[in-house]
Amino acid sequence: MRIKIKVFASVRDICGFNEKELIVSDSIKLNEVIDLFIKSNQALSEKKETLLIAVNEEYCRMDRTLEEGDTLAIFPPVSGG
Amino acid sequence: MRLILTQKEKIDTGKILNGGASYSDGSDLIFIGKVRDISRGKKVTHIDYEIYNEMALKELNRIADEASLNHELNRIIIIHRYGRVLLGETSIVILVSSPHRDSSYQASRYIIDEIKKRVPVWKKEFYDDGSEWISDRS
Repeated sequence: MRIKIKVFASVRDICGFNEKELIVSDSIKLNEVIDLFIKSNQALSEKKETLLIAVNEEYCRMDRTLEEGDTLAIFPPVSGG
Repeated sequence: MRLILTQKEKIDTGKILNGGASYSDGSDLIFIGKVRDISRGKKVTHIDYEIYNEMALKELNRIADEASLNHELNRIIIIHRYGRVLLGETSIVILVSSPHRDSSYQASRYIIDEIKKRVPVWKKEFYDDGSEWISDRS
């Protein structure tokens, strides 16, 4: 199934893209996708513990099962205001 | 009355203060966040704010819901800028109106604290000799 990944701020600088479409196996869990993503972007591994993750514009549990068309967002701690 | 906005343009604070004011409110409390010239000992020239806009609007509305649930508020206005914000310019305005000041003070503080924890906006500070992403949690 297809999912979309969006990245922001310092994570985008590391990855070198804004968003990407991925093909993943059906019923894959969010944490599995994140692990795969970090493996393919090694520079992110040292930030892993601080990364924030959202699915379809909502913060969510890492054991969530993903569905076709979901949009993941991966970003560093926020600093608005 | 509620207004939640993100915008690239400068914020007109006077216009906000007068929009939707009510005779039933005994207090209008406005918080203005601005770009300051020194940060962590470095001289700042400007800040670029990056935003995940769709999610930021959802989170801002959720925070406004929570503030309304816990405090007696008749008016909530939150406006956050994105893009380039120059020294002294306003990056965020939070206005809350309530019959009583205690509700306004508590709600305003709650809203800005939650924004800094949850709303997907990132600031990149620029200095004379470079730039740096700022992470409030690190």
